[in-house]
Parts: sequence; structure tokens; C-alpha cells
Amino acid sequence: MKSQPQLKSWSRREILRAGLAGMCAGAMPMVFSRAAAAAANAATGNRILVVLELSGGNDGLNTLVPYADDAYYRLRPHIGIKADKVRKIDDRFGFNPGMAGFQKLYKDGKMAVVHGCGYAQPSFSHFTSMAYWHTGAPNSGEEYGWVGRLADAIDPKLTPNFIVNIDETQSLAVRAKDHVPVVFDDPNTFGRKGLYQTRALLDHVGEPVDAGNASQRYLTEIARSAREASVLVRDAWTKYKTPVDYGILPVDLPKVASLIAAGMPTRLYYVSFRHNAFDTHVQQSDLHQRLLTYASDGVAGFMADMERIGRADDVVVMVFSEFGRRVPENTSLGTDHGAANHMYLIGKNVRGGHYGTPSDLTKLDEGDNLVYTTDFRRVYASVIEGWLKYNDSKQLFSQPFEPLPIFA
Amino acid sequence: MLQAIQSKTLLLIVLLAAIPAASAADGVGDLAPIDAKDWNYAKAAHLLERAGFGGTPEEVARYAAMTPQAAVRQLVHSKDVPNPLPDFDESGAHEAGLEPFPVSRPAATDRAKETGESMGVKVKPTGNRRLQPVANKFFYWLRASRLETHRMSYWWANRMLVTERPLEEKMALFWHGHFANSEEKIRDYRKLLNQVELFQEKGTGNFRDLMISVAQDPGMLAFLDAGVNVKGAPNENFAREIMELFTMGVGNYTETDIREAARAFTGWNYTDLTFVVNPDRHDDSVKNVLGSSGNYDGVQVIDVILAQPVTADYLSAKIYKYFVRQEVSPDLRKQLGSVLRDNKYEIAPLLETIFLSRDFYSAQSTGTRIKPPVELVVSTYRKLGLKEVPGVPDFNDVTEALGQKLFYPPTVAGWAHGKSWITPGLLLARGNFGYDTLFPDINFLPPDRYPGGDYQIAQVNDKLALGFDVTTATKPDSKELTSMSMQADRDEDFNTRLASYRGWQQALQKVKPIPRDTAQLDLTQMVTKAGARTTQEAIDYLIARFVSVPVDAQTRAGIVEFLTKELGSSNLAGTETFSEEPLRLALHLILSLPEYQLG
Repeated sequence: MKSQPQLKSWSRREILRAGLAGMCAGAMPMVFSRAAAAAANAATGNRILVVLELSGGNDGLNTLVPYADDAYYRLRPHIGIKADKVRKIDDRFGFNPGMAGFQKLYKDGKMAVVHGCGYAQPSFSHFTSMAYWHTGAPNSGEEYGWVGRLADAIDPKLTPNFIVNIDETQSLAVRAKDHVPVVFDDPNTFGRKGLYQTRALLDHVGEPVDAGNASQRYLTEIARSAREASVLVRDAWTKYKTPVDYGILPVDLPKVASLIAAGMPTRLYYVSFRHNAFDTHVQQSDLHQRLLTYASDGVAGFMADMERIGRADDVVVMVFSEFGRRVPENTSLGTDHGAANHMYLIGKNVRGGHYGTPSDLTKLDEGDNLVYTTDFRRVYASVIEGWLKYNDSKQLFSQPFEPLPIFA
Repeated sequence: MLQAIQSKTLLLIVLLAAIPAASAADGVGDLAPIDAKDWNYAKAAHLLERAGFGGTPEEVARYAAMTPQAAVRQLVHSKDVPNPLPDFDESGAHEAGLEPFPVSRPAATDRAKETGESMGVKVKPTGNRRLQPVANKFFYWLRASRLETHRMSYWWANRMLVTERPLEEKMALFWHGHFANSEEKIRDYRKLLNQVELFQEKGTGNFRDLMISVAQDPGMLAFLDAGVNVKGAPNENFAREIMELFTMGVGNYTETDIREAARAFTGWNYTDLTFVVNPDRHDDSVKNVLGSSGNYDGVQVIDVILAQPVTADYLSAKIYKYFVRQEVSPDLRKQLGSVLRDNKYEIAPLLETIFLSRDFYSAQSTGTRIKPPVELVVSTYRKLGLKEVPGVPDFNDVTEALGQKLFYPPTVAGWAHGKSWITPGLLLARGNFGYDTLFPDINFLPPDRYPGGDYQIAQVNDKLALGFDVTTATKPDSKELTSMSMQADRDEDFNTRLASYRGWQQALQKVKPIPRDTAQLDLTQMVTKAGARTTQEAIDYLIARFVSVPVDAQTRAGIVEFLTKELGSSNLAGTETFSEEPLRLALHLILSLPEYQLG
């Protein structure tokens, strides 16, 4: 099985053929993509990582509630979630009442919770802290994102469409020196409008006249990437039909599923719960629960969908936020920017359970924040080495981080 | 005859401008003014591109005829340039009683339950859905404020399009991204209108004055939760963003500075559209901020911040990055900071220095800026010679799709500039904007009249009219017909979807529609007037008129060949009766070029 060839990126001719077949006979593309999926299935070299970012600073303590800890209720007399309301996963922790999906994933042994993730001298700025998580290099001014650097390292032959980032703007996390990430928001509009007779010229990308103009070079590169990727993405999305319920606001995960189903060679997907949604300073309880429901339903739906198309063995989802929130609630029934937080890894090949040491709620730092116990880059390293089987995460972070034994 | 000569001269001038403005990398980092003898059409075009929203060849020629000093002065000190533009024409959607507007729908109905009234609407004494009118009113204002905000962005875009003071609007746009407030959270177009007017009025004035006005602006106070920042329980959001985003930048203050500064702002709040200070809630004790201490209030803390050298460095570098380029050397940053500091935070002298500098006209600064979406759209319209922002395509939908919807910045940090504007998806969307302008969609439905699928209320409208009960009519899926007979109208306090529907319906009646004219274009006349006689000349003219950087010969030849084929001739004479569509196709190709994104 393992000796089967890897799925190659589609040539333009093949795409056109698939597209035409789609127009003439509906059955053809399904066969095509199933065959593609089977080929992709075969090799561990086709393992996929999906990163889900919860932007705004998710309140980890009200996500996975330490309901057996009196300190939690002492510090959160109004917004603490009562023990009889949480969705218990063991005798210490339980998920937010809105997170049926996460609770089930955990109980099914498909989720690893890593406690106390953070870094030294935490920043309380959304933008700075998010940039640290994006680069995996706090306080360094690193130019490229960790996902981008990872792509450059594991795929030096620069497979087109190796990174997909679904968002309005490109995340710093996927910025790469060599790879050009495919970034789009709505697959339906990811394509050029234009009349038949202009098509060839619309697809033509010339050479920049002024080689010294870096912006122009950048635009040319993006134009090429757009031309190659847009056909694939739209095609995948048009053909994608799923009976799986992803919930009300599935954070772009169905789009990821459609690309995986179509056999895209993408191995690194990056999606975000956008616009600082989790920045819950004021009256947070209802809003926060709703946000968590969306995220939890979305991830649970995605995993079910992967099972449906036979790719559940190949996919791991990693969930993080740029920081947790301050432990004591504020006077507006909300919480302010904090520090250490949980990370979640979800997948059939994840060894479910708790990892790392929960931060001690009775030993907060001088700003009333949780003290981190696990450098978040250990979790990155776990995924890079344990899941994606790239053994030199040290090179990516300029220092070694010991992977956690999350993957079999 | 005279007309023909003028046209030909214009064509020649425009074509010459296609040659890059700067010959070498000289002048990079040099803030000394350029020589008047180096001033020309290309430099004037560059100035209008950056300090405004680009210009037609006629406008550029006007600025090229001045001295560089006069051209820059006219842009920077524009308050005495006559500019008779209308104020925003409010629909009058805001009603007495709406204030203070509840933070959420549950808060609105809870208030009504407790007091018998909310937002000026009383609870029905008896019967089913006693709170329905209250819930309706809540959604009414949400929708009305949003629709009015969409009209407001049309008003503002129209100003950008026709203003005689382009830098005034451009600077207002800069401050809107700097002090980035979103209607999504503020939910009151009036507060945002006041902000824009503040930015237009004070945007090139003194930064201290502007910063204080913004810090006391009800929109900003609402956006950063100032109302909950009170003595004994300071909320840091406001103080943090003032230091991190508005004045100093991250890394130049400590967490303690933020907490102390937050105390100085305690008690600052607003009532409707008025700034108020509540002395009972102000922390009247000593604060230690950035190495100084005193019993500060908010204004005094702002003065402490402005006394930090890094503040002028940070602000001037941000302004420079917006207008010139993303990379600022530490040395240039210092120089720019000194200009702002030495001028006591007057913004106009800094702008004059930048726009006259050799650095600004150096090769590295010319044709290297990726146009932000609003500028791309407005400058396209301006270069097309339009006098009104078209109603089709919808300005708000277009700019949202391109990533810069006015009054809806993504976060409090505003919009990231430079390369962030371009992804594969966004690059294609930029070309599609050109297509939609040149070939307006005949299936276009105005989003300010058709709520679309997002709110799931279209079917509520139809079903209520057919006599369905509210419970059935508002059920989300399509299984109503079978269950209808079994399900009586539910007894409840209110129905949220009905409220959403009624809110829309009421808002549509109050808020004026956006005019939906398409772009009034005549490209045939445009190229004829310019004196173009061949397809080659027509394409050269259009490229020079629209594109700021050179286009490679092969691409250019491809478009010429295309136009020749579509016209059936390389000679324009005799093609006037049918050349409009081929010219539009050719222009769409030009507007789709990667090069067109640069200004």
C-alpha cells in the first residue's frame, strides 16, 4: 500500500477534462475524485493538518471548566459555569454546556487536551501575541509563519497548492519564503469573470518590467497561483455535497472538507474564527457559549465528514487561541486579556487524553494570570514530528522543543 | 483644429508619463525637497495617486503646471480650496426613546419585562406576544443603522470621487483605519458620521487636538467599552488601545502603565451623542504612568504619552507607511519623528515634508504601493471620469469583497496594508470589480432593498401574507405545510424571527434607497478625444491613463491584437459606432493586470 505513488498535483489539462466531464456526465468526477482520494489515502506522506484559530483570546477556563476546583468559583463568582451545567469528561474537567461535539470527541478518545500552553513574558496585545503564535517565535521579529516555514521544509519541491488558507487576508502563520499559499474566502467567487474571447488574455501573466519592484513581483506570483488554484477550488466546491451537519457557523471547515474530498495535494490548511470574535470583555456568558457551540459543532461535523469520505485517518485538527483570559472575572461580567490556555488536537490517530500540567489557579502571576506550564511550540513540535513526520522541528524554531507523545 | 492639437499634446504627455518617474535609486531616505526643475507630469501623477485618489490626465496636467511646492501646498492646506459638497442626507431613522440602546436583544426584552417599556415602546397589556413590538423595535434600529451606514459610505465615497481636496478625504480615511471603529459593535451610524466629520475637519490639524477629540468621542467610548471603566474597577481596553494602537506602539510601555492610565480615564462616558464625565466614578488619586506621576485625568495622560519621543516616531512612521511605502529604516523613522515633534504634533508640516521629499519621488517609492480596496475603487471611477459612484455594482459589497468595507474595519487595529491586500482570491476579485463596472449585472438586486438569504425572512414575508400563523411562518425549514394543521400559533412573549422581519420592514420604509445608476461611460469618446487613431494608440493611452507602472511588451501587444481583432481593424476611424464594447473588454483586461493594483 505504502509504495503507491503519491497524488500529483493536477495538470491544467486534467482539470479542464474533469470540469468538462462534470458538465456532460455527472458521474465522472465522483469516480475521478474517489480514485484520487484512494491514492492519497495510501501514503503517510499525505497526512493533513488543519489549524483552527480562535481569534480574540478564547476564555479557556470557561471552555474546559475545572469544575472540581474551588478557586475557579472563587475567582469567577458570577460567570463561573456551575458544576451541574458543565459537560463532564472526568472528575476534574468538563466542557462548556454548548460543546456537545467536543465532549463526544474527547469521550471517543479522539481528542488530546494540552494544558497550560503559553510562553514566557506573555504579551497581552491581540496582535502581538497572535503574531507570536503565528511565527512560533515570540519576541523575535521572525518574518515568516511557522506553517509557511514548515511547508518550505517538508516540501522543498514546492508542490502547488500545498498550503490553503481560507480567510479574507493571508495569515502571517502561512507566510512562507518559497511556497505561495492559496488564500481565498468564498469558493463561489474564487475565479475570474470575463467573456470567452478574453479568457486567454485574462489567464496570461506577464513578466514584471521593473525587476526591482518587489510589490510587482509579488503580484505576479500571486496572479500565477490564483490562476492555478481557482479552477481546482471552485470545481471541488461545486461537486461537494455532504449529508453531515456542521452546525450553524462552521468556520470554513466544509470548504476544507470539499478540497480534501476532491483530492487536493494540500497538506496544511489554516482557518480562523475571525475578527477577534472571542474577545469577550463584557457580558460574556451567552455570547461565549454560542461561539463555542459553533466551533465545537464545526469540528465535530468536520471529523464526521472525514469519516464519511474515508479520510479520517489522514487528518488532524489543531485548535488554539492567542491567549486565554484573566482568571478573575471583571466587573462587566466578562474577562480581560490573559495568558496560558488549552490547545486541542483532534483526530482518529490522536491518543486522547490530557497532556501537560494544568496551570494552578491558586498560583497566578502578579497580573492574576495563569502561569504557562507548556511552551506552545512543544505542541507545534508534536504535530510536526509526531503527525507530519518531519523530524527537525528544532531547525524550524531555532531551538529544540520536546514533542509530547500525542501520536501513536 | 486647436482642439485636435490639444488632444494630441495630451496623448503625448500621457504616453511620456509611462516612463518611470525616477531614473535611479537616488533620493531614498532623503527628506530634502526635490528640485523644482525635476517636477513633471509623471511626478504630479504620483503625487495625486498617493495624496489623493489618482487623477484624470486633465487633473494631473493641472498639478504638473504648478511648482511642486504649490501643488503640495494646495493638497495639504486645502481648507481654503472651494469644495461645495453636500453634508450627509440623513433619512431620519433615529427616534426619540431609542437611547440608551440596549446592548443585546435579551437586554432589550428584559428591560421591557422589568419596567413595562423599552426603547420607547410599551409592553402590550394582555394577549399573545406582549413583547413583540419591543423586539421589533430592537431589530428595527439594528437594520436601520446598518442601512444608513451603507448610505453613509456612498456619501463618503462620492466625496472622495469629486472632492477638490483629495488629501482631506484620504487623511480622513487614514484616521478611520487608525482609530478603527466598526458599526458592527457601535450600532449607531450617527456616532460614526460624527467621527468621519471629525477626521475630515481635524485630520491634517494637530494630533493632540485630534487624539483628545477621539478619546472623548462617543463612538470611540462605546467601541472600547469606556462605560464600564469606573473607579475601583478599571477596564483596560481603552487605555491599552490608546497606547498600543493610537500613539506609541507595542513594546514601549508596561502592563502597569496601562492599568494606571486606565484609572485616569475612569468616569469617562457618553450619553447618546455627548461626552460626559461622571466625577463619582472617576478615580481621584495619584497615577504613575510612563515614569511620571500625578493625579491625572484622561487628557493629562494623553499629554504624558505625547511627551514620549517614541510617540511622534510611531505616528509619523505610520503615516509615512500609509502614503509612501511599508519599509522605514530606523534612521528615516527618527527623521520623520523629529519633524512631527519639532512642529508640536502639527500634521500638515509632516505631510508637506513627505510629499516634497526626494525619498517620496525615488524609484523605491514610485509605483510600489498596493492600492487599498477603497482607493482602488474610487480611483478607478475617478480615472474613468465618473462624477458619481455607480449604484451597480454596490459599493459596499465590492469593497467588502475586496477587504475594506468602510465603517466595518475587521478589528480595532484597522486594516493591515501592503501585501495583506492581496491574496489569490482577492486579486481575482479586483479584476471582477472591473468587469462588474464595465458590464453591469442585469440580475443585480439592491442589497439595501432585498435582505437576501442571510436573515431567512423572505419566506416569512410571503407566508404571513398567505395567512399562515406566526409560528408556522417563521419556522426555518420547509416542512411547514405538513405540520401546519397540527400546530397552533405558539403562545410566547415574542418571536425573534418575526421581530427580525418586522424590523427590516420598518427600516426599509424609513431609510432612503441608494440610487442604482450604472456607470455612465463612453470609452469611444474617451480615446477619440485623446487623439488616438489606431488600436495601438488607444491601448497605449488607456494603459497610461489607468496603470502607474510599465506593462511588459508582450502583454501590451496581446491586448492591442485583441482589440484589433474585435474591431476588425487596427484603424479606429469608422469603428466609432461599435467600438464601445470592444474597448470595454480591452479595459477590463487592463484593470485585471497585476500591475493595475499598484499606485
